[in-house]
Amino acid sequence: MKQPRVQGTDLRRRDPLPWVTKLALVFVFLLGAALTWMGIRGQETYNRSGFSSEAGFQAVHALADAVGEQWNQALRPALDSLTEEERAAAEGNASMLLRDTWEKQVSGGGALAEDAVREADASGRSSFPLLYTTYLVSGPKISPSGRKAVTALTGTEAAAFRQELLRCVADPERPIPDPAAELTADLEGTEKQAVLTQALFVSCGSSGENITASVNAFKKSVRDKTRQLEAFQTIAKGETSGLWNWIVSHSRTAVLLGIICMLDVVLLALLMAADRRWEMNIKWFLVLIILDFLLLFQLLPMIIIMVRSVFPDGSFTLATFRRLYEYPLNLEALKNTLIASFATMVLGTAIAFPLAWLVGRTNLYGRKFFRALFVLSYMVPPYVGAMAWQKLMNPNAGLINQWLRTLLGLADMPGPLNVHTLPGLIWVLTGFYYPYAFITISRAMEKMDPSLEEASRISGARPVKTVLRITLPMMTPSLIAGALLVFISAASCYGIPSIVGIPGNVNTVTTRIVEYVGQGAQGVNDAVGLSVFLMIVALIVLFISDVVLAKRQYITVSGKSVQPAVVDLRRGRVPLTVLVSLFAVFMVLLPFGVILVTSFKIDLGASLTAPGNFTLDNWTSVFARSETLGCLKNSLLFAAAAATVGLVIACVMSYLLQRTRIRGRGIPNFLITLGSGTPSVVIALGLIMTMRGNFGINIYNTAWILIIAYLVKYLMMGMRTVVSAMSQIHVSLEECSQACGAGWFRTMRKITGPLILPSIAAGWFLIFIPSFYELSMTTLLYSATTKTIGFQLYEYWTFTSQPMSCAMAFGILLIVVFLNFILNRLTKGEFSI
Amino acid sequence: MDMVTVREITKNFGEQVVIRRFDAAFQKGEFITLLGPSGCGKSTMLRIIAGFEKPTSGELYINGTLMTGAKTFVPPERRGIGMVFQSYAVWPHMTVYDNVAYPLTLRRTDRETVRKSVERVLEIVHLSQYAKRYPNQLSGGQQQRVALARALVAEPNLLLLDEPLSNLDAKLRETMRFEIKEIQKKLGITVVYVTHDQSEAMAMSDRIFVMNGGVVQQCGSPEEIYDTPANQFVADFLGKVDFFKGEVKEGRIFLPSLGNQSIPYSGPRTGRVDVAIRPENLFFSDEGLLEGTLETQYYLGDVDDCRVRVGDGLVRVIANGYAYKTLQTGQPVRIGIRDFMVFPDDGSLEEMLRIQT
Repeated sequence: MKQPRVQGTDLRRRDPLPWVTKLALVFVFLLGAALTWMGIRGQETYNRSGFSSEAGFQAVHALADAVGEQWNQALRPALDSLTEEERAAAEGNASMLLRDTWEKQVSGGGALAEDAVREADASGRSSFPLLYTTYLVSGPKISPSGRKAVTALTGTEAAAFRQELLRCVADPERPIPDPAAELTADLEGTEKQAVLTQALFVSCGSSGENITASVNAFKKSVRDKTRQLEAFQTIAKGETSGLWNWIVSHSRTAVLLGIICMLDVVLLALLMAADRRWEMNIKWFLVLIILDFLLLFQLLPMIIIMVRSVFPDGSFTLATFRRLYEYPLNLEALKNTLIASFATMVLGTAIAFPLAWLVGRTNLYGRKFFRALFVLSYMVPPYVGAMAWQKLMNPNAGLINQWLRTLLGLADMPGPLNVHTLPGLIWVLTGFYYPYAFITISRAMEKMDPSLEEASRISGARPVKTVLRITLPMMTPSLIAGALLVFISAASCYGIPSIVGIPGNVNTVTTRIVEYVGQGAQGVNDAVGLSVFLMIVALIVLFISDVVLAKRQYITVSGKSVQPAVVDLRRGRVPLTVLVSLFAVFMVLLPFGVILVTSFKIDLGASLTAPGNFTLDNWTSVFARSETLGCLKNSLLFAAAAATVGLVIACVMSYLLQRTRIRGRGIPNFLITLGSGTPSVVIALGLIMTMRGNFGINIYNTAWILIIAYLVKYLMMGMRTVVSAMSQIHVSLEECSQACGAGWFRTMRKITGPLILPSIAAGWFLIFIPSFYELSMTTLLYSATTKTIGFQLYEYWTFTSQPMSCAMAFGILLIVVFLNFILNRLTKGEFSI
Repeated sequence: MDMVTVREITKNFGEQVVIRRFDAAFQKGEFITLLGPSGCGKSTMLRIIAGFEKPTSGELYINGTLMTGAKTFVPPERRGIGMVFQSYAVWPHMTVYDNVAYPLTLRRTDRETVRKSVERVLEIVHLSQYAKRYPNQLSGGQQQRVALARALVAEPNLLLLDEPLSNLDAKLRETMRFEIKEIQKKLGITVVYVTHDQSEAMAMSDRIFVMNGGVVQQCGSPEEIYDTPANQFVADFLGKVDFFKGEVKEGRIFLPSLGNQSIPYSGPRTGRVDVAIRPENLFFSDEGLLEGTLETQYYLGDVDDCRVRVGDGLVRVIANGYAYKTLQTGQPVRIGIRDFMVFPDDGSLEEMLRIQT
């Protein structure tokens, strides 16, 4: 007879040899320390090596050559119109600027730039193209609004503007012409010059798309050249050993690896000491791997943001904050953010609670349909909503405004409603964030034990009184949780304020941050200052919802599977259904409808039914473009990558959290929660600041930085799904399988796996869908080759054609709805967003 | 006057009939139990009385007033009933005091009266010292008593209890059983109690309604139901019983399954019958009517639970504990019969005993 395998700990086994483990730990620690030390030495060697002349010159020169011709052509008229002295001064300043920028952005790059300028001078070329190339390499971009303002100038106006700008480069004291003055108002020195130069180039480039295309190509080649540079370097140092070579060329990576190694060992030692068991356990490595990932890509960027905010130039100062918060535009943005988020929270919750109750607990007509509709609007990209409301309520051509003017007999004037105001912003934010509260509340409401309410009825309370005195107080924890979710989502939203707010000069912290990031090194400092504000708000919210609310969580789920009691609305049934329908039509169908209708229009001003105003061209041309398809492919690919990696982490974490008692498993869990609560722009900014090679990892301008950003932000969504699925599978199911003689793997494959499979699919989509249409982080992290569909849409909306972008928006919407449909089918209706 | 009058109430859930023509009257001060296996419709009946469910047809009167009828429906809050739920439904966001005071505050009672009533009722359920606590700081039994206090505080004439003891451990259940009965007697209220536990029903009730498949099988006092069950189901559901096929012949009932041994019978039934014997009504005696071999015995301390092989059949005998000391497994024994029940055998025994859900 076959003996069943024994599960569990074999009691006869001796304690492992503690000194072996300890020795191994010390050894690994020393290895890490050695790596760090060698990395530091390598850095010094690298700095001393004087490497810069040959390879560096070639790389930069090649770039300058490629871009120079085109730019010289564009610049020639402007340059020629200057006097000789003005021209010389401008050139001189430009080369200083170039050195400065390279010094700041690329380690040891100052010398590189100097050489390149010298060469440019010698060959009689202007160093301006070189300067522009530098900006493409090192990242600062002129802000979208600035770009728009500059490109708005045409013809002689533009020529005069360019000429004046060139003079400003030559003479820092000279007043700066509009609209560049506005862009550089809060900047100084190099940064100011940098943005001026950019404005100049944008102005030159107004001729159109081929400039953008060549810029994109240059960006790519810059990365290739950087790699070449590294290769040169390795060959140049060929006389030393391979490892040393690697350490010299990757000194920062070596330091990073060494430090992580030491940190891990210390943590492991602490955990083992707390366990009083010096025994290696594979689960610890799982914890450490996930932890390292989060430390590197989540905690490090955040810490750097915090540090940069008080040590902008290496010494402690609060100047960043003082400068930021004395500047009225920023103060205004802070105020706007707080007011808008608070109002959205109050309004959103006030809408969500009655809706959740009506849809979840009463005999409202069509409650299932309404529920699906409101939940569906949760997964609509917020910027699509913003576009829709912009179409409906912009003061001049807004549809609702047109109707109202006709209805009220008002003269041909703007208004009466204006979406580009703070109330307008609040309105749009509410329209797209109330579903967050709706979902949280209706989930809790449907899980509530109905006998709690019946007990109130039998005590003599009428249904309304029961709702007020029992249901509502019982719901407070989830009500507050939902409200806080709305608050933080509204506060960290970028898409809506950038589309709705900016045209009316209603700035929020997020739009200010994105604006600042586009303004070079000083801008990044300012962005950091604002980010710290957003981060603190987010941390407070996270603290309230996790620590304070957790204590007030009432367990209302009863053992019986119960159908929540349905309240008879009686006479109120028809009017309330009408009310909810009106709400749905106004908040959901109307915006989507207007997007759909606009996508078929030729003339925006005319109605769709006007003769000859209907066209399918917007659809066909948008989706036939290889650029659009490329972006779509990027989006699908990045989102899939983020979702897949995220799900692997989610499954491992669920197992660690639900099925083991391993020490330290709560740390990654905490970090993942923290990540999801961090505003998107803050995550992106942190990644920009830490992932461009200065900490040993250079993934800036690549797909990886986007994928990692999505992971940090949305990992929690996937993890929570899998964790809750696993918590619902009673351990006894697995134990029973083991008792039947199945091993761990077989149990996972045959029992646990199939049971949580729907949740794994759901978790995958919950990461995939928001990553697919993400905008806030992508705006800051994209590069020419890694544009996503969300960002492409935003660009189309801002710079190209509104009907085309509406076609694209509706296309995105259809894809998302379709994905949700798949998810629903895959999980047999158990899950949808 | 009757406290509750149920007239021909039928309840369907779609195609399924959950209650079929329930017709009864509960008197004032009576302790009524609805007893039956799970899914027999007893909880639904209770919820109809409370007003949480509407019957498909029939009428319900409380205190002579029509509560539920074809055109009338009085919502639960206006029925003036106390109710204890199986899950207790103690509101987690209120203290014990607030929970209990809730029904009174709804009636706009002044604060002093509320305080007095709550203290009095907490005294009754022995919870005075816990007034300031939150439910999650209480044990299951204490929560159950909070629910009871809340149901009693408004001094209702009718108290509904939906399996209130099923979530408690065995010892506590027995204590609470008598406490509830005591409180009911002291306050003189009418109680409708739903349970599937027959000993609970036996211990507390004035009258028991035994239900199965939505139909009332029998109603009567605990003794009536136990001693003279209306049919095989009732006999089987209350207490232990063994059924044997038999035939009445010449003042005796012959039992083919027990080696065709016979027992004397002077009742009215003739022909084929089902004989139901409760094992505690059998005893070992040298003058016993049946003879067989003692096959197994389980000594439970107070009693000796034995199986005796008689002919081809097994007969269960619950003898007193002392028998264990004198008998040995395998020895021949004779069994005496104190009492037994006879039902006509219309071939419906299996059908009857099946618990319909």
